[in-house]
Amino acid sequence: MKKVNNVYLYDGSFLNLLSLIKVLLKENIIPQNIKIQGYEENLFSSNINLEIEDDEKIIPNIIHNLGSRIFNGIYYIYLSNNDDKELLIYYFLLYSIKYKDKVFVLRKIEEVNKGLKVIKYVGNENHKMKGFLRFKELKNNVLYAEFAPTNNVLPLLVNHFKKRLKNERWLIYDQKRNIWAYYDLKEVYFWDGLDINIKIDNISDDEEKMVHLWQTFYDTIGIKERKNDRCRQNFMPKKYWKYITEVENI
Amino acid sequence: MTLEEKLQILADSAKYDASCSSSGSKRTGQMGCAAVSGICHSFASDGRCISLLKILLTNICIFDCKYCLNRKSNNIKRAIFTPEEICEITLNFYRRNYIEGLFLSSGIVKSADYTMNLLIETIYSLRNKYHFSGYIHAKAIPGASPYLVKKLGSLVDRMSANVELATENGLKLLAPNKNSQSVQKIMAYVKENKTKNFVPAGQSTQMIIGASKESDLDILTKSSYLYDNYQLKRVFYSAYIAVNQDKLLPNLKIPPLVRENRLYQADWLLRFYNFKVADILSWQKPNFNLLLDPKCEYALNHLELFPKEINTCSYNDLLKIPGIGVTSAKRIYASRKMFALSFKDLPKMGVVLKRAQYFITCQGKYFQDRSFYRRDYLEHNLVLLENAKETRKVEQLSLF
Repeated sequence: MKKVNNVYLYDGSFLNLLSLIKVLLKENIIPQNIKIQGYEENLFSSNINLEIEDDEKIIPNIIHNLGSRIFNGIYYIYLSNNDDKELLIYYFLLYSIKYKDKVFVLRKIEEVNKGLKVIKYVGNENHKMKGFLRFKELKNNVLYAEFAPTNNVLPLLVNHFKKRLKNERWLIYDQKRNIWAYYDLKEVYFWDGLDINIKIDNISDDEEKMVHLWQTFYDTIGIKERKNDRCRQNFMPKKYWKYITEVENI
Repeated sequence: MTLEEKLQILADSAKYDASCSSSGSKRTGQMGCAAVSGICHSFASDGRCISLLKILLTNICIFDCKYCLNRKSNNIKRAIFTPEEICEITLNFYRRNYIEGLFLSSGIVKSADYTMNLLIETIYSLRNKYHFSGYIHAKAIPGASPYLVKKLGSLVDRMSANVELATENGLKLLAPNKNSQSVQKIMAYVKENKTKNFVPAGQSTQMIIGASKESDLDILTKSSYLYDNYQLKRVFYSAYIAVNQDKLLPNLKIPPLVRENRLYQADWLLRFYNFKVADILSWQKPNFNLLLDPKCEYALNHLELFPKEINTCSYNDLLKIPGIGVTSAKRIYASRKMFALSFKDLPKMGVVLKRAQYFITCQGKYFQDRSFYRRDYLEHNLVLLENAKETRKVEQLSLF
């Protein structure tokens, strides 16, 4: 393997990234970094735009050769907000080829350890959102939720709500990335960059009553003698409160 | 009385029950599903997780347990939900993703069987009329007929009955209407009949800490007995909060939260770390040290067993080291087959090195001169470590 001072560019898609990494691994290149096209060149490296064709077989190949656990791992890293996620995926794949599933205990290697931490972070945030997401009922009975997760967990989260609310139509909006997911009782559809405006008069008449009941329950269930704001914030970070009905006004 | 007033009264009466976990069930169906891991939906102002809609069906009660807010002799507002009302709130909260399901308990109206029937009617309606397949945890009423226990158990994910006090004497004194036999009868029944269609998520129970004279040894012995004999998933500990004035009750201004925390730590040691009660408590020393966690205390009392060599000691020995949890023990166990581990690798495995360093060697090396491996020195440092956390907390508070 040879280390080069090049930053390799890809188009931002998962498939394109994997194809690029495949080429780099084949040619035994360890890149200085991998970035989305448009990345500003700096003094210490040069940007390289390799000609790569999207390889449709690459995902089945990774799953077949390395297993779905590793594939899920790199997909989680791809969804993270980590600045060096592409490089972490590169290293994760590099060591996976040699160590297979044992890569998950290869914490002694710093690059792998970072990747494992990112995987855990994304998984944890996905799990938290299963609980913290709040739906409002619209007049047409569609359930609507907004949130702004740190990592792009929406593609993972929809799998949970497909099972949980399988007989409801629902719409989830990631405000930070401007992505929408809509479930129509059969499939989930994604859009980005849409300009949809959910107006207050589209919200069902029952909604206010239910929010009020929930607020009453929430305010009652805490034991005053045990009040512990710090503990609450550890479990429910302030950055999410804006979207959590019962605490948004605290 | 409005629905909101009822909810306020009956949630307020239910809040002292510590149990709220929603794990262990794989139920699926038309309206919702359970999640094996359990999901916390919110956290209350006391930092406890809110997973289930925790309410009583009614706070009317014919019992007069001294420690209980809902005791017969208390002059408080009483309310009773209709099954329809509970279904409406549960389903609407569930759709909006406020909750993972329902936790339904009740005061005892008329008789145990009568109350059981009310619970069953409500949950039957949720399950069969509304096809609700989210998580339900119901309290079984001690003394109810076996066929009712069977019926309730076949509708819920978890069923439990509370022990409340660890000893028979405590129970006689503070809860004269209760007896431990009727609670254990329910536990035995659940244990015998547990299947994927009958209480699939298992059973739990709760004990009140600090309302009576039981020692930590009494409480933990009871827990251990319950885990071994009834395969309980959890025992919850609830620091006593002085809701009633009574000459039989201690006059506590602040609930014994540190003691409760020590009991939870010890409970974890019993369930996941292969400890026995006798390892951590004895009749000469029946209560926990409030300054040190039980695992550190154990290690200090058994210095002859330490320091352990990280690269060669057994998995079971790894679990005994303060600062190493189940996850980090597993990681160490898997990694050391590939590489020899040194001190700098351990934080990557999730080890809390500032605690663990006193009790381990890595490739034969101790982190400082061996002459410091003395009880007085280690204890001093570990207590300081715990207290540093406390001072931080105090500073935080004094800012406001």
